[in-house]
Amino acid sequence: MSGDSASAIQRSQVDLVDFIDWSGVECLNQSTSHSLPNALKQGYREDDGLNLESDADEQLLIYIPFTQVIKLHSLLVKGPEEEGPKTVKLYSNKENMGFGNVNDFPPSDTAVLSPDDIKGKPIVLKYVKFQNVRSLTIFIEDNHSGSDITKVQKIALFGTTVETTDMKGLKKIEDH
Amino acid sequence: MVLEATMICIDNSEWMRNGDYAPSRFEAQAEAVNLICGAKTQSNPENTVGILTMAGKGVRVLVTPTSDLGKILACMHGLEIGGEMNLASGIQVAQLALKHRQNKKQQQRIIVFCGSPIKHEKKLIEMIGKKLKKNSVALDIINFGEQDDGKIEKLEALLAAVNNNDTSHIVHVPTGSSALSDVLINTPIFTGDGEGGSGFAAAAAAAAAGGLSGFDFGVDPNLDPELALALRVSMEEERARQEAAAKKAAEEAAKQEKGEGQPSGTQDAMMTERANAATSEVDNKANDLMDDENALLQQALAMSMDDPDSGHETQDTDMSDAAADDPELALALQLSVQDGTKDSSSQSDMSKLLADQSFVSSILASLPGVDPNDPSVKNLLDSIQSQTGASGSNISSQQKNEEKEPKEDEK
Repeated sequence: MSGDSASAIQRSQVDLVDFIDWSGVECLNQSTSHSLPNALKQGYREDDGLNLESDADEQLLIYIPFTQVIKLHSLLVKGPEEEGPKTVKLYSNKENMGFGNVNDFPPSDTAVLSPDDIKGKPIVLKYVKFQNVRSLTIFIEDNHSGSDITKVQKIALFGTTVETTDMKGLKKIEDH
Repeated sequence: MVLEATMICIDNSEWMRNGDYAPSRFEAQAEAVNLICGAKTQSNPENTVGILTMAGKGVRVLVTPTSDLGKILACMHGLEIGGEMNLASGIQVAQLALKHRQNKKQQQRIIVFCGSPIKHEKKLIEMIGKKLKKNSVALDIINFGEQDDGKIEKLEALLAAVNNNDTSHIVHVPTGSSALSDVLINTPIFTGDGEGGSGFAAAAAAAAAGGLSGFDFGVDPNLDPELALALRVSMEEERARQEAAAKKAAEEAAKQEKGEGQPSGTQDAMMTERANAATSEVDNKANDLMDDENALLQQALAMSMDDPDSGHETQDTDMSDAAADDPELALALQLSVQDGTKDSSSQSDMSKLLADQSFVSSILASLPGVDPNDPSVKNLLDSIQSQTGASGSNISSQQKNEEKEPKEDEK
């Protein structure tokens, strides 16, 4: 989390929002009026008025599958000072996790956000752990103020794609 | 058509032996479970249903979520009643069973039959509800059987904790003549949040051979229009015939019982064809106010000659079945039907009659078994005086039933 890494992001990493497979995106314990697209989707996430909020308690479990295999470099989380997330655990390639089994296996990486980070500073992750990511599960364990509702204004992921074939880009060969 | 995995939690505690739901609470519950399974698997072939019991030695999963209806129905056999229901454990085990469902794309739903008192604290119940909501599990609660003080409150709190966008429901089924399954068919538990409502219900009714629920004659007009039409026509003809018979009997009764045509006289007319025993008993009642009675009689005759195709007639048809066995019940039913359809002037006539102390005591004096000076009879009269305005007719039916009982005791 030094100044160097901040510039490292600009160099080769892209915003992975284009590679998110929206049909499979899920979020447990989100409030219906304040849902995940508010924090993830382009346009919505820039608007600080639109938040992702938790419902029954302060934890959130977000599942994001990708259309391609990616390498995840860094994570950016933006939220209000009080109710913004504090401890964030990331799990790579684990499908269908629930709140019951988050503690069953160790996370690929854990990030504890400081009040500074919550303003929108990218956090560099353990790159070696995220070399081959098909899906990412983000577990927001608690927030800064300890209140029952966690609010997230923006979640952005940065990384690169592995050279996999983009099936949508394939065109049928015409018979001559 | 929502893709869903459902766990049904059955209450097989000692409270299920009670017969206040025919034939017994447990069997009414089993029938409802069969219907629900049928409905769920019909609405989407990939839906799965599982069953667990909450009482007995402990919470036991009978069958894990499967789409095989035969397996589900088979496991309902040989279930034993006993023990106490453990609601908290039951729901938690159901949640676990759903978590391990094979098709992770299915929505999770738990249906709980709650027929005995809940021994858990409200706090615990709410926490369970919150946990369900957190894991996006919907919950349907069917409240029947034992009603103790805090039960409804706890169940409502549970529903409030779980409910996310109205995906969870609660249904209270009171004891009464209609079966548990019939009441449930019309609820969102069956109709699945408003999609494909009646088709669902009809299919479920057909699948379980439940009979006349959802659709008029247990036949879906979409599936078999000619049969439905034939049934409907024959029902109309039967109604018309019954009415003609009732009208004729009313005329004959008017001729025979001119001097005794009380308010109950009109009921006599209707009942002649159904319960002669009651008629003979009622005949014995004397009265002084002939004019009022004749007016009422005329009104009743006019009514039976009225438009046949009305809900009133349907009520008659239904009630005749119930009334055939029990003449007193028939009388009470007739009176209550009269309530709904008479206009206010006749209502006040009835009230006036009852308010007239002399009239009432003259009736009582004519009854062989009743002594007007008997304190219990006097108490009854007092209560009638005070309640005349609101429900005069109902009281009169009560009064007549009570009068009949002393007479029958005499016999």
